[in-house]
Amino acid sequence: MFSDQLVPVAVLVIFSIDAALLTGLVLLKSVHRRRMRSHNVRRQGYLGLLSRHISFDDSVDPITASMAEDPAFLDALIDMRNAITGDEISTLHRIVNHHGVIEKQMRYLDTSLLLSRRLRAAVALAELGDETAAETLMRHLDDREPEIRIQAARGLGRIQWTPAIDQIVSRFSDEIPWVRVRFSDTLIGYGIKATWPLLAYIRINHRFGSKGPALALRTIGQIQDDQAVAPLLEILEETSDLEIQIATVDALAELGSPEASAALHSRLESKHWELRAKSASALGALGDPSAISRLTTAMRDENWWARRSAAAAIARLPGGIASLYRSLDDDDPFAADAAAEALADAGELVSARERAKTIGADNEPLLAHMGSESRS
Amino acid sequence: MILEILGWVGYGTITYFILMQAYLVFLSLLSGAALRRNHHLRRFGRVGEMLSSRTSPPVSIVIPAYNEEMGIVDAVRSMSIVRYPRLEIVVTNDGSTDGTLDALIAAFNLEKVRIPYRPDLECARIRGIYRGRSGVDITVIDKENGGRADALNAGINAARYPYVFCTDADVVLDPDCLVHSMHRVVEDRDRTVGVGGNVRPLNGSRIELGHLIEARVPRPLIPRMQVLEYLRTFLASRPGWSWMNALPLVSGAFGIWKKSTLVEVGGFAPGHMGEDLDLTMRIHRHLLHANVPYRIVYEPSAVIWTEVPNTARVLRRQRIRWHRGLMTAVRDFLPMTFNPRYKQLGMLTWGGFLLFEYIAPIIEFIGWFVVPLAWMLGALDTTALIWMVLVAFAMGLMNSLIALLLDESYGFFNSPTDTSRLILMAAVENFGLRQMTVLWRIQALVGGQGTRSWGNMERRGVANLASQE
Repeated sequence: MFSDQLVPVAVLVIFSIDAALLTGLVLLKSVHRRRMRSHNVRRQGYLGLLSRHISFDDSVDPITASMAEDPAFLDALIDMRNAITGDEISTLHRIVNHHGVIEKQMRYLDTSLLLSRRLRAAVALAELGDETAAETLMRHLDDREPEIRIQAARGLGRIQWTPAIDQIVSRFSDEIPWVRVRFSDTLIGYGIKATWPLLAYIRINHRFGSKGPALALRTIGQIQDDQAVAPLLEILEETSDLEIQIATVDALAELGSPEASAALHSRLESKHWELRAKSASALGALGDPSAISRLTTAMRDENWWARRSAAAAIARLPGGIASLYRSLDDDDPFAADAAAEALADAGELVSARERAKTIGADNEPLLAHMGSESRS
Repeated sequence: MILEILGWVGYGTITYFILMQAYLVFLSLLSGAALRRNHHLRRFGRVGEMLSSRTSPPVSIVIPAYNEEMGIVDAVRSMSIVRYPRLEIVVTNDGSTDGTLDALIAAFNLEKVRIPYRPDLECARIRGIYRGRSGVDITVIDKENGGRADALNAGINAARYPYVFCTDADVVLDPDCLVHSMHRVVEDRDRTVGVGGNVRPLNGSRIELGHLIEARVPRPLIPRMQVLEYLRTFLASRPGWSWMNALPLVSGAFGIWKKSTLVEVGGFAPGHMGEDLDLTMRIHRHLLHANVPYRIVYEPSAVIWTEVPNTARVLRRQRIRWHRGLMTAVRDFLPMTFNPRYKQLGMLTWGGFLLFEYIAPIIEFIGWFVVPLAWMLGALDTTALIWMVLVAFAMGLMNSLIALLLDESYGFFNSPTDTSRLILMAAVENFGLRQMTVLWRIQALVGGQGTRSWGNMERRGVANLASQE
């Protein structure tokens, strides 16, 4: 039924693999732990050494070539880079360049076959933020490994490398979502320098798909550049894409400019509940108390989420809490519920308790108020 | 003729076990490849990026609680300090007969409120909704008893955020578990509908104020065996399934779901003994039928710690319940088995589940009687039998050792005592302990008294657990 020789050989092979795994496990446990401990001790030592070099120009402690080769030295450099500011950074860069750390990491990033080493190099270049690495990082914006593309963008953002802005923005449409989001974080770090490239990108691309432009719009909102308000209002008028309209309203809310008020008021009449809800939230963010009456009407919206957003927006406006208390007696029970919830969220639990007493908090009236509209 | 049949059945049984171990070793190698890549990525800054990004989607943590007076407050506190930009906690008091609700009211300064509650998913009658005033964003739903699935459905209804993290009241969360798991959502927000996490036994570990201080391997054999089982399952199987986008089970103790998808499939099925398996499979089926691109992934870096049964009596009840859950799922999803319409899920994982999880105890049970009988009657060659048993044993050992090696990248068990306990367990579990679980699963298959109810877990509360080991 089976070969007399084959099965004993198979057993031998499998037990040998077991023995190898066992040895590997024991070695890994003991060696790895010892290595990690030693790495941390060396890292602490290098941190002290680097502190002395940065604090005293005439420090006599040498940094040798072998030290510069040590991975613990690289970790210490990154720790130090994140702890210092101003002129100290220039001193650190002198040390880094003197010992060829950047060149070595660029070489690893370009040529190493090991993913872990390439990732480590990309992180090191991003953290150290040295301008000599800019060209290499630009090249790796097209790396096959998403995490390296992210680190390349981070590194370029850290040194505020302006030519990279267009390159990063232009990749918004084709990138995978995770990378796109991280690119957005990098562009926020560039600040107002990224506003116009982002606006140009949105203008060109908003008719050809919403994913990239929508994130670009939210990025603009986070950058907080007031100059973007007028172009954003134009985009809001031009586009018919719901996702882009919502992202524009989000961006306007973040910018908080009163110029957007009229456009947002008109969006409260939109046929899309998502846009009505977003516009209500945005009006709350603008802080203009004259929106209260319009938002009070929006609390009677047919959609639950729009009602809730309108009530939450009122709670943010000056005089809004008093207005919500008045709405507890609204003829429309949906509006009264929305007001109660917004007051509860705003820390005014007393109101919600009172409402519970008025209506009765048992199951029947609670469920009787539920509509059939969906909430997402 | 009878002797010949006995011989074939005997050889067949052992061959089945060799094939099963080969399947598991293949899966563990696949998992190893998936974990290696994950390990590299985990080392480089994802946590910080997720925490600082304003694009991280908000999450509602939903906790069903039935008679959890002893541990519920610690559990909520440990959950409230999870590192994540935006989260809320929704506790469902599932008609507890002890002081669970009172403990929550006192600890979090809760007030009964009237706020809208949408019954998107069916559940038992709601008695009241409470909100906290203590700084923790907590909502408590007080409802009539309906079981774990029913309580989860009520909590999902009350959840305000687009992603819900369904868990249990007796778990301790790793502070970064949400960051790691939600990272998988941000990675591909359009397609990701579910994320499962790494559940690890808590018994024997040092816990203080609801936080894990030091992970240890418990000394008693029953929980120690489960530590090894959990390592094999969560590190040597699920990463491989996830890599194929064919994860058949997102554990009930750690499952993050897109709320809209849960509502589409009708939420958890009340009364089902394997409600997590049932839900995962229903979501797969629903989305495959709708031809919607989706993924359900497993994230090994997202860790939670849970109390596992400490005695054979409680473990028996748990295993019977699990196997009955599996039986119901096998019946419900039988048309998916080896059906190419369901892609890798139907062909590989669900097929593997049926062959090597559902049927395994039957074959092993038959083997207990047939192999010795056939050997005594001379139908099995002694040498061949010994070699084949050795192959099966060595492959089982290999599977456990690979799981232990994979666990090394997480570095939870650092003492040499813990390592040697687990290595020893990998060999010892084959003599008595595994047979015990087979017997329980046979009892589940046969049915009878005591196999159709949930039973109680006899929890001692997270804070009291370690000191009693």
